[in-house]
Amino acid sequence: MLKINALKASVEEASILKGLSLTINPGEVHAIMGPNGSGKSTLASVLAGREEYEIEGGSVDFDGADLLDMDATERARAGLFLAFQYPVEIPGVSNINFIRAAVNGKREHEGLEPIKGKAFLDMVKEKAQLVELDGRLRNRSVNEGFSGGEKKRNEIFQMAMLEPKLAILDETDSGLDIDALRIVSDGVNAMRSPERSFLVITHYQRLLDYIVPDFVHVLVDGRIVRSGGKELALELEDKGYDWIKEDIVA
Amino acid sequence: MDAAKPQLMDRPKAEAQHAASEASGAALVSALDAVLGVQADVALDAVPVPHRRVERWKYTPVAAWWKDVLAPDVSTVADAGCEANPVPGLDAYRLVFVNGTFDAAASDLPVHTGVTCMPLSQRGDAKLQDVDAFSPEVSDWFAGLNGRYSQEGLYLRVTQGVELDRPILIHHHTCGAGAFNVLRHDIAVALNASVKIVQWSTATAGADGSVNILTRADVGQGARLHIDKVQDEEGTVRHIAFEDIRQGRASHAEVHTITVRGAWVRNDLAFRINGQGAHAELNGAFLPGEGEFVDNHTTVDHRVAHCTSSENYKGILYGKSTGVFNGKVFVRPDAQQTNAYQQNANILASEKASMNAKPELEIYADDVKCSHGCTVGQFDSDALFYARSRGVGLEAAKAMLVHAFIGDILKGFAVTEVRLEVEHRLAEKHGWDVWNDHPNDDA
Repeated sequence: MLKINALKASVEEASILKGLSLTINPGEVHAIMGPNGSGKSTLASVLAGREEYEIEGGSVDFDGADLLDMDATERARAGLFLAFQYPVEIPGVSNINFIRAAVNGKREHEGLEPIKGKAFLDMVKEKAQLVELDGRLRNRSVNEGFSGGEKKRNEIFQMAMLEPKLAILDETDSGLDIDALRIVSDGVNAMRSPERSFLVITHYQRLLDYIVPDFVHVLVDGRIVRSGGKELALELEDKGYDWIKEDIVA
Repeated sequence: MDAAKPQLMDRPKAEAQHAASEASGAALVSALDAVLGVQADVALDAVPVPHRRVERWKYTPVAAWWKDVLAPDVSTVADAGCEANPVPGLDAYRLVFVNGTFDAAASDLPVHTGVTCMPLSQRGDAKLQDVDAFSPEVSDWFAGLNGRYSQEGLYLRVTQGVELDRPILIHHHTCGAGAFNVLRHDIAVALNASVKIVQWSTATAGADGSVNILTRADVGQGARLHIDKVQDEEGTVRHIAFEDIRQGRASHAEVHTITVRGAWVRNDLAFRINGQGAHAELNGAFLPGEGEFVDNHTTVDHRVAHCTSSENYKGILYGKSTGVFNGKVFVRPDAQQTNAYQQNANILASEKASMNAKPELEIYADDVKCSHGCTVGQFDSDALFYARSRGVGLEAAKAMLVHAFIGDILKGFAVTEVRLEVEHRLAEKHGWDVWNDHPNDDA
């Protein structure tokens, strides 16, 4: 599904990713943990195609295609989805028109006609239930005036609408209370399937109680320094990141 | 002096050249008077031809072509290129003017108690409103030209308490080469009366020449006037429009201007607020494309106390286009408790586009609330990336942001059909398919 090989990236001349490698197979859930500033969010942005980042080396293969050769739109249409840590507010663009444009973009890529109104609204209704997204939020401007929890639920709603092959969740747990965390996690878990992969980026182990990963990786200073099963997350929670850092130095 | 620097012409030489140019202009005026059979009762020579050393014309050069305006092809008259109704589905009274001539066959005048509505040329002895010291004719050369040569337009009187049941659509159409489309609309809305006007300007692809439209409106005590103004002209016509609005006590006047298309457009609006408790509203959007020029000059003159005004202009400039905004707000010494708001926001959608924006507030009263803001920027890159990360194409994402950006201006249109048609034409001009997606339409 995704094969990252020795990826190096920088922003404004500061080197952030320093040779990161990671392979994700279909149906797998991988978690990336790491201290602040280790490059977790940079990895998410680079994979989604944010143009401020300079790729300085390495390769990324996504489902047999060169991901780094595609622009952000093409990556999304090819089946990659990024749930933002800080979802962007777009005043004046209704949530429903926004998601409709996204769905139709994907359909265009697949050679399909734009979705019909009835089918679209039925789909919205079904997917909104998944994350208990309030009906009134559909007609409001994208993320404008949404609470932290509503924004994250809206991200998962969009993910459900677009049915990606690979979803990257960038600190989706940040700013969530325990109820919202459960709702968001339930939404994600409902979408797990043998064909769909997830890359869950988080600072805390807590999220991984709800979205149980197959693999856990620790990112420190732009590299994955340790990989293991879900028990690695518990060990980190117990000992902190300093333990790993000391371990590397030693 | 640095030889690489472009040298400015020295002032005496420039003045002399301009004077010589004006002298040849005067000869053209007399010739045009003779051709059109005009008695020269408006002293045009009292007003200088605009040039760039005058603040009001600093960013709006006319030197290259103003003489062409005085030498039109007077044989250019009505042709069949006129759309019968530019706004599908709009139920409105209609006055159609083609190249300055009233097209009776295409028009549908209101027959309504308390409403006098006719082409200006048929008004007989009915008097027009006076030109006074503050009218644009005495300070602006193009307005002076209008005063001298306008022989046609709308004559409208709405008497006390009458609310016209449908909007009046005034369609200005220009076609052919060397057009001289000069119109004056004279509107008076009496005590507590109300009327909605739609001004729609079109021109055919091959049209050139000039369009010069002056609208004078007296909005009486408690009266309401709402003007939706749409400019969608092909060809290379130069379009200049004046609104001279005079407001009485507790009156309400709104002008909403959208420039969809136009090679060269200048709008010059002036609201004079003469009665307490009145409200003036002026909003506009302009989206010039490659090579187009759009200028909006506005004046709001608060002369008495307890009035409000609200102004909001938005520009999105594409290709190598130029925009100008100048917003004057006067708050005179007697105009205490004035609440005046002005906003002008612009997006440069191209590196080659340029925008000249200037808010000018002159406040002489001390107990007032006046605010203004002016921005020139680019598209929000975070919002663009967010949309693209959902699979929306870059151009479609920009179109969505444009729709959101000018959404509040579009919503200000009094007539829904006008707004929908404007959206349709903008989408067509810019290739914005995404605008045509209305999820609830076919549900």
